[in-house]
Amino acid sequence: MPWLNACFTGGLIAYLAGTAAGIAGFRVPRRARIGVFGCALAGALLEIIAAVVALARGGVTTWNLPFGVPLFSWAIRVNALSAYFNLTLGILAAAVSVYSFGYLRQMEGRRNIGVLGCFYNILLLSLTLVFAAGNAFFFLVAWEIMALAAWGLVSFEHEKERTRRAGMLFLIMSHAGSGLLLIAFLILARASGSLDFATFHHVASALPAWQQGVVFLLFFLGFGVKAGVVPLHVWLPEAHPVAPSNISALMSGIVIKTGIYGMALVFFDFFDAPPAWAGILVLSAGVLSALLGVLYALMEHDLKRLLAYHSIENIGIILIGFGAAMIFRTLGHPTLAAVALIAGLYHTLNHAIFKSLLFLGAGAVHHSTGTRNMEEMGGLIRRMPVTALCFLTGAIAISGLPPLNGFVSEWLTYQALLAGFGSTQSLTRVIFPIAGALLALTAALAAACFVKAFGISFLALPRSENAAQAHEAPLSMRLGMGFLAAGCLALGLGATWFLPVFDPITEQLIGARVSSALTAANGFAISAGTAHAGTVSTVGIAAMLVLLSAIPAFFWLVWGRAGRRATGPTWDCGLPGLTADNEYTATGFSKPIRMIFSALYRPRREIQAEYEVSPYYPTAIRFESGIEPSFEKRMYDPFRNWLYRMAGRMRSVQAGSIHAYLAYIFVALLALLLFGVRR
Amino acid sequence: MDLLHNPEFGDKLVTLMAAFVLVLQIAMVGQRSLVMNIRLFAAQSFLLGAIAGSIAWYNHAPHIFIAAGMTILLKAILVPIVLERLVDRIDIHHEIAPILNTPLSIMISGGLTLVAYLVGESFYHPEAGAASLGHNTLAVAISVFLIGFFMMINRRKALTQVLALLTLENGIFLAATCLTYGMPLIVELGVFFDVLVAVLVLGILVYRIRESFESMDVSKLRRLRG
Repeated sequence: MPWLNACFTGGLIAYLAGTAAGIAGFRVPRRARIGVFGCALAGALLEIIAAVVALARGGVTTWNLPFGVPLFSWAIRVNALSAYFNLTLGILAAAVSVYSFGYLRQMEGRRNIGVLGCFYNILLLSLTLVFAAGNAFFFLVAWEIMALAAWGLVSFEHEKERTRRAGMLFLIMSHAGSGLLLIAFLILARASGSLDFATFHHVASALPAWQQGVVFLLFFLGFGVKAGVVPLHVWLPEAHPVAPSNISALMSGIVIKTGIYGMALVFFDFFDAPPAWAGILVLSAGVLSALLGVLYALMEHDLKRLLAYHSIENIGIILIGFGAAMIFRTLGHPTLAAVALIAGLYHTLNHAIFKSLLFLGAGAVHHSTGTRNMEEMGGLIRRMPVTALCFLTGAIAISGLPPLNGFVSEWLTYQALLAGFGSTQSLTRVIFPIAGALLALTAALAAACFVKAFGISFLALPRSENAAQAHEAPLSMRLGMGFLAAGCLALGLGATWFLPVFDPITEQLIGARVSSALTAANGFAISAGTAHAGTVSTVGIAAMLVLLSAIPAFFWLVWGRAGRRATGPTWDCGLPGLTADNEYTATGFSKPIRMIFSALYRPRREIQAEYEVSPYYPTAIRFESGIEPSFEKRMYDPFRNWLYRMAGRMRSVQAGSIHAYLAYIFVALLALLLFGVRR
Repeated sequence: MDLLHNPEFGDKLVTLMAAFVLVLQIAMVGQRSLVMNIRLFAAQSFLLGAIAGSIAWYNHAPHIFIAAGMTILLKAILVPIVLERLVDRIDIHHEIAPILNTPLSIMISGGLTLVAYLVGESFYHPEAGAASLGHNTLAVAISVFLIGFFMMINRRKALTQVLALLTLENGIFLAATCLTYGMPLIVELGVFFDVLVAVLVLGILVYRIRESFESMDVSKLRRLRG
């Protein structure tokens, strides 16, 4: 208890010190940078220790923060679930803080790093409190502070119109979501008679059926906005790319995971067994998010927007795990539910790590080339080898290829879905294979997308002057990325040794411990925990890769050294030399997929040729292509227009006359008084 | 000397003075001269202080004496002086321009008094015994409040609206004193400080409005609309 308490509170104090350092350093960028991110790093390390202690000990630890504000209890409640999310947060915060030392040096003198650092520390502080808040009121306060800090960071480059619009969109949607959460918490608080999360345990399932439905939907929508579930995702691809890259890494890595944390809390702690349709809804929303996220990602040429769409995809994969867990729980299969929940939670950590890694890599590329457009990169692997290797690690992990961490969690998700087909009846039985097939499609498309992202950005010749003059990122940035890349490898190879971490969580939420059932062959292989399920060993696959690579090495040793090496130009069809213009473009690469899914994309292309003598000898050709943003156009635009029309009608009430305003108040007052008398 | 210790007499005294407060309020609705209005307000505030004083005396609640003293000092003396100096400075003495004419305004004030009695009646529980003091006084307080509000709506000039706001506040003070025999002292002090600041700020505001718009007519503020 004292260790946990001291480390946790120490971390909070370090974040507060970082905030103060940011404010103090408005005018001295260099000291501000070191002070701010030094404090953040110290805070992150302390939080990691606190989370590890809490996970190792298990159980629930609660205490009150002495904030001195009467009437409200600032209760901290650290249990396995919140410690797990705080661990994720700490790992990311540590890596991103180290990275930021180098990343922000370029901005010194041009931008106010103090402001950035101040919001950065507030964000980390509020995130820690969101995961550790012990009552609904405290949770919502931390939640709102988090939204505001994130808004401040997203709008950091506020001189750009696009950034301001993205920040505003984020703020509006985030507040709408918070409003839904507030209502849902109040309904639960009325049922339990207290705002404490401890009293919310299984209270939602005691409500009447229709209220259960309302509470569930309010929570799902409220947390879904933050998590970026389709169709509530539209803010995400706008807001994540415009922030500085270290911030994007935090946003995609952990801020959207607060929605996942909230869902885990509600679906498995506040609900005993949610209604059957709820699990199916979550599963379907997950499948839809995963598929649409990756499909839109494929069409992006802005590296950071592409990554942002992949966040939507991965949130979808996490929700598939959650949805399956909910269905199993309602149908009474606690072991399967635990496996599916572990799949979702494991993917949460994995996605946090590899997505932050990818965003940091994109940031390093942007830092060095000044562009986010993939069509202007190319050839970076020679100029930034460490960054390229880190980005490649992240790309392999996110594509779900063995032996990295993304593979393990996606494999567990598949196993849960397959087991669901084997052990359920009737309609729900059909859902699982469909979800599994669509998940497989998603994973394949994600792999295609990262072949594009890596290939176009890092391979071949530079496509622009900036890319040709790119340079490797500074040491601190490489350290930050390397740490996360090592994390991808460790969580992939060491998956079986990591799985016991989930035991206290599944015990707390579902009441089953399954890690020993998931471990096979002395921890060198993972099994799905059921009778006829598959088994896989990431260590084995890695060993296989190493062994197989010995074969070409052997042949090279035997014959290669005797052979003759000839270096010549690539065959260029007789054209005068190959340049970057001959390279495969990102648009070209994604063309087949654009054609197959044209019903979704509704692609638009425009070609204008200018010629003087004959159309066969054009002097200039202008080509434009794009896809239709369906959700914005079909869902949000009509809604916004309706809102504006309504606001226009309300305008006549706002006459600008003080007398009219006073009269409104007076009439309302009289009406209330008389109404009170009638009662 | 029996009267000084007879709570029943004290009750009647308070009711009588409350009635005068109401009379003064309606007189302010009918009065067109600005300076006269300010003096009526001073008189009303003095009566209010007296009511608080008698409640303090007859109910043996010495802390209300402080509230009573503050009321007389601030609202009956200080605020009227500030307002009269403001009137001198902006050089308008007798142009209260109501939106509705005087007879109609007084009729409406009567109607509002009826509403106030209707509302006050619902708080009247004779079975509660000694606590029934509030009956008439509460109704008067509510009507002072409502009429003050009506005055705010009915007048065009910023200064007269400040005055109306102050009478409205008097109504609230009366309600608070007669219902609870005085709020906690710290709350009372806060309210007084509030009133003082409000008068100062609004005084400056009135002056600036006058400077900018060449008039105190708040209808002209419509021009600020975007």
